[in-house]
Amino acid sequence: MSAIAMALDGPLATSDRARKEKQKARRDARMSYLLLAPYLLLLVMFGLFPIAYAFGLSFFDTIEMVFWGLTNYQFVFDDFRVPASVVNVLGFVAIWVGMTVIGVATLSLMLDSVGRRTANALRTVYFLPGAVTSSAIVVLWLFVLDPSVSPFQPVLHGLGWGTRADVISGVGLAGIFAIMAYFSSSGGWIVVFGGALASLPVEVMEAARIDGANRFQLALRIKLPLIWRSLVLMAILSLAGGLQLFVEPQLMGLAGPQFAQSDWSLNQMAFQYAFRMGDFGASAALSTLLVGASIAIALVIVFATKFYKID
Amino acid sequence: MSTRTAPMRLNLGRFVVYATLAFAVCFYGIPLLWLFVAGTRSEASLLSDPPFALGTWEAFTRTWNNLTSYNNFQIVSWATNSLIYSIGGVLLSLAASIPGGYALALSEFPGRKLILLLTLIAMITPSTAVVLPIFLEMNLLGLSNTYAGMILASGFFPFGVYLTYVYFSTSLPKGVMDSARVDGCNRFQLFTRIALPLARPIIALVAFFSFLAIWSNYFLAFVLLSDDKLYNLPVGLTALVSGSGALSNLPSNDVPIKKPEVVLAAILVVLPVLLIFMAAQRFVRSGMLSGAEKG
Repeated sequence: MSAIAMALDGPLATSDRARKEKQKARRDARMSYLLLAPYLLLLVMFGLFPIAYAFGLSFFDTIEMVFWGLTNYQFVFDDFRVPASVVNVLGFVAIWVGMTVIGVATLSLMLDSVGRRTANALRTVYFLPGAVTSSAIVVLWLFVLDPSVSPFQPVLHGLGWGTRADVISGVGLAGIFAIMAYFSSSGGWIVVFGGALASLPVEVMEAARIDGANRFQLALRIKLPLIWRSLVLMAILSLAGGLQLFVEPQLMGLAGPQFAQSDWSLNQMAFQYAFRMGDFGASAALSTLLVGASIAIALVIVFATKFYKID
Repeated sequence: MSTRTAPMRLNLGRFVVYATLAFAVCFYGIPLLWLFVAGTRSEASLLSDPPFALGTWEAFTRTWNNLTSYNNFQIVSWATNSLIYSIGGVLLSLAASIPGGYALALSEFPGRKLILLLTLIAMITPSTAVVLPIFLEMNLLGLSNTYAGMILASGFFPFGVYLTYVYFSTSLPKGVMDSARVDGCNRFQLFTRIALPLARPIIALVAFFSFLAIWSNYFLAFVLLSDDKLYNLPVGLTALVSGSGALSNLPSNDVPIKKPEVVLAAILVVLPVLLIFMAAQRFVRSGMLSGAEKG
């Protein structure tokens, strides 16, 4: 084809070729859109539209359906439970992210210093609780935190806690939710960091060992700096997830009405507005703020780090 | 061990390492092990025997019968619902992710960068952040409380698109596509005849991650489904507990759902994922490395 094109080299041929190229590009583009159509439809339906719709709704009195500007936001900020839930969620996030970074880094580095087979077996044990998700986490931990049935009964009794109420007030709700979330989510990260540490350059490790670094120095001075950026990513992703806390506090009431926490977290407040008060506008306003925070975090990860590449 | 100056410190270091690792084994392992042992025990045994006492076959079958027959085999229909949502959602997410990720990886067209950027943002944003907006939308469309609504919402899985995009951009040689094109494949055949047969590993990986996300989704199901016939297992589990007060240690009632039944229901929620995890731990490693998974 290119031979013919060269033979016909002339002004007419080039414009013809350009037109053909354009046509081909257009057809390519059409095919790409066709292949993308199902995904784009879902992206609009469950990504763009709901966010835009909630944003729009947040400026309306949804009971009378009249525009009322920032009134919903005013209402949310004036609700005394909202600042309280901000404090709750930030407390939870601080504990959970701290536990995750320290726990995952420590265990990953330690696993990297023991024999391969031991490390693989232990990693599997740490990883399997990831199968316990959503409501099952809460149900399981409500058993584990109840001294009358808990497998940690001797420990809980040793700490002087005789009932579930003692345990909950002793540890604090933020700490309890952080333990639940850490139990299920940290093992996957330990597997990931196991892979990352195993792929660190052997020469660097060798050089450090020859220079007289012991295990401890190797872990702290060489390996930790090499995985530091991934740890930061993990912390930011956990932060983004933690701000959306809902399931753990929402299900505390399963242990009995005296444990119910219906307005502990921000997402629970948004839920309360929609489902208990029927005020979709206020719910939309608070949801918009929460989604906004998540998108801001996502933009920081995309533009300020190089973890997710789009060629 | 070989030097004479450091054995003491070395031993202490080793001790700390192994003690910490063992402590972690207790933290992660004991609750999970306890859950599976507790499923075989009676209420009385749970309250009075040592934590890891094994139950009896009789106790297990009694618990099983109490749980499955409760409310006209309600838990069976919840499990069926969970399967329907998961299979429907996984198929939909595959139908959207595989061609979508392929198009993004291998062709140039206006809007490509924007779609990629939106995909990344959607993937990093926790899915819980959009649950209430999705509820407001479904309310508008009249799709709340339907199988279709749950399956459609579960099928949106931007992480799958990103994984597929990364897979095709790194593992499908451009040369293969060019020569297939010269051989007379049209654009659609390029996808069905060349790309799809090579896509088997990525199909499995996307199916794995989307199954995990959908099977264990509590918040979305809780918000979208108010009809208890449509509940999935995670929501059903909480309905069982709150309906029976089995976890509250209050004076007992005549509902046959007690602690052992709740434990068994929780096992039903956990077991499928656990089995898949055991079969496919390496998936997690490869998948989470090519794009960190969101919490």
